[in-house]
Amino acid sequence: MKHFILIGLLTIFTYAENYTFLVKPYQKEIELEAKIITEIAASSLNEPLKLFIPEISKLEKSVYAQYTTLSATCEDANFIFINKNVDEKSICRSKNTLYFTNNYRKLLSDERYFGAFFWNKSRPNIVFIQRRLQAHRIHLPSSFEQFIESIE
Amino acid sequence: MIKIFLCFALSASFAFSETIDYLLNEYERASDNSLQTVDEKIGHVIHYSQQEIRLMQYRTLNDILRELPVFNVNSNRFGLSTPSLVGTKTTTSGFFRFFINDHELSSGYDQSTLLSWGDLPLDFIDHVEIYYGESSFSFGNETGIYYIRIYTKEPEKENASEMNLGVNSKKAYSQSFTQSQTLENGWKYLMFVNQSRTLKESDYKNQTLNANGIRRYLFADASNETSRVTAAYTDFSSNNYAGLSIDAIPDDGRMRSKDFFVDVTQFFLDDRSIKTNLSFDANKRDYYEENAQGLWLVPVLDLTHLGLTIPVVFDEELEVFKTNAFLSKTFAGDDNTFLTAINVQHKSYDVNHRTTTNFLHQTTDVGAYNDFDTETIGSLIVQDSYRLSDDVTLVANAKSDRHRRNGFMEDSTDSLYRIGAIYTPTDYLGLKSFYTKTAIAPTFYTIDYAAFFDKELQSQRYRFYTVEAALTLGESKVNVTYDHVAIDDFIYYDPTVGFLNVDHTIHTEGLIFDYEYALSRNDKLHLNYYTSTLSETINNSTKGGYIKYMGSYQKWDYFTSLIYKNAYRYETIRVPSSYNVSLGTTYHLTKDLSYSIKINNILDKSTRSLYQENVSGTFMLEDDSDRSIFVSLQWIF
Repeated sequence: MKHFILIGLLTIFTYAENYTFLVKPYQKEIELEAKIITEIAASSLNEPLKLFIPEISKLEKSVYAQYTTLSATCEDANFIFINKNVDEKSICRSKNTLYFTNNYRKLLSDERYFGAFFWNKSRPNIVFIQRRLQAHRIHLPSSFEQFIESIE
Repeated sequence: MIKIFLCFALSASFAFSETIDYLLNEYERASDNSLQTVDEKIGHVIHYSQQEIRLMQYRTLNDILRELPVFNVNSNRFGLSTPSLVGTKTTTSGFFRFFINDHELSSGYDQSTLLSWGDLPLDFIDHVEIYYGESSFSFGNETGIYYIRIYTKEPEKENASEMNLGVNSKKAYSQSFTQSQTLENGWKYLMFVNQSRTLKESDYKNQTLNANGIRRYLFADASNETSRVTAAYTDFSSNNYAGLSIDAIPDDGRMRSKDFFVDVTQFFLDDRSIKTNLSFDANKRDYYEENAQGLWLVPVLDLTHLGLTIPVVFDEELEVFKTNAFLSKTFAGDDNTFLTAINVQHKSYDVNHRTTTNFLHQTTDVGAYNDFDTETIGSLIVQDSYRLSDDVTLVANAKSDRHRRNGFMEDSTDSLYRIGAIYTPTDYLGLKSFYTKTAIAPTFYTIDYAAFFDKELQSQRYRFYTVEAALTLGESKVNVTYDHVAIDDFIYYDPTVGFLNVDHTIHTEGLIFDYEYALSRNDKLHLNYYTSTLSETINNSTKGGYIKYMGSYQKWDYFTSLIYKNAYRYETIRVPSSYNVSLGTTYHLTKDLSYSIKINNILDKSTRSLYQENVSGTFMLEDDSDRSIFVSLQWIF
């Protein structure tokens, strides 16, 4: 019984979602963003993921590195997630690299992106453009079908 | 037994496996917690997340303020909701500071937000943080002890238009429209417009006092990763409730205020370690009152010739301008973060029109009450936070404010500092403590209304220490906070002669107990109780607390709350305890359309405000709020 109480208490402390003081930068949102992007990238590629985020922040770097392999340069990556307003010319262009954005308007106007992860009406959204998925020969798992749209 | 426990743990793990839908849902929940801006190093924080604002149907900022611990919100003689120190009904402008994003909202005249940004609608607000601590160390500008940071919704997380319409059983209404977009070039904007009708009426001696009025707000914000531009306008017009009338029943009266600000922030360098901010605020206010029994207008009264100087008509129009420039540089290392900043603020005050008419119907063009009408404050700020070990962080701040004033007011310098420590020995236990020395300078308003025998008021000097302990146990969280405040030269408004520096040290202590329990992922119980002592005569509640329960089930959100403030006695009047019970529910017809109903003050036992009928006469009591039902709808498109 003592063991049970001890394990119970440890579990309570370990799984407590509450925090006392947020002394370190709050990173729960970046953690979830990293998990979602990693899930999307891994499902879109037929090879191990090498992710590149232009102008990645220190915090993003430490969090994303927990879930995937980060590429130091654009050229070495097979999946590029552009989540900041960066100079488009500074991003390498390769046929075999997949480009993903967090800006829906960019997705619509720039053929390079095959999908976007963005917010709409206070809810996170994922959109893949069917024609661009076909062009890149990407076969997504069935759980992603709900996000595929036939936008021209 | 252990095997059974392990099986249970594994099943739970499978149940919460991380599918893409689950991750998106969690991402939305994490965003609703609105914790990204919390800064534990600047004080003791009370946090109102987007989820809580939505579930509890907090409609305006005052809905939040009235439940805060060691805090009272009452109505003043003009019918405006006024925050005051616990135990007092003293409107200590400057003690409370309000920020929208990083811009301080207040009039340059009296440092108050009541006329301009009071009762701000929360339709475009993401979350609110209330800090018990010194605000000016972090933002450079004017000092304050208890400050409220209001954060607007992030346009990149909205990308939508939103309509909010609501009306209450007293025929007050609020209508808002919010629009936000992220553009292809990375810029994003948020725009908000609102019109609200406020109603406050009381029957007094067979007459109706009212502060019924209209408030309008326009807010626009555009930003990208390194720049932010905000512009906002608000105006307000209403009747003046009891006003300045000696018998508390004006024959006629009105108040008007127009307020505008523009605020530009720019970050430099890759790590955004250089920050510049430039802002400009303009405030125009009109006041008119007439009363055959006379008006107690302190600045024009001559106690030796009261019959000739008591006005029966008072008409005033003022303009106040405030310009602020801020520059900071942060040096961040692995364990040490050092910030240095300079801030310059210039305030000017013009009297466009100020006349009084006395009992003999003689009209006097009063003009400025005195020659103090500009002030420039130069500030130098340093801040260091040092991580001594994994579980100990030390914080130190110092600031010097040089006030240069024109006219009869002399220049002065206030030196402020703060030291503190945060200790988190385990994930479930934390301790935090600060000692602060600060000062709140007099304003144009306090000098205008200063007692005739000492017009040159000194800065109020505050020394306070605070200790907070936080403990989390599973889904529970307990916080206990203690504060001790000593105030020298407190600027107090004596109704007969006006503002004066109190000649002795005022002491106040407070103890806050706070308990939160998450009954499930969607349901939460929140208890709070506080008690305080004050070394002066008490004329407001000193104890209080609340019980809140909020949650959601399928398409329904629901809440109920009880806010308690204790009874007290002032001279011959006994003011009963207040039990403000509210409940409400929201039905989400679709993800984008919802209807809400909220019943306020069900028991009709709201807090009550004390007014003095004559200058040295009897006291009267008026309810701060009535029982009412509010229905509203929200449509996102």
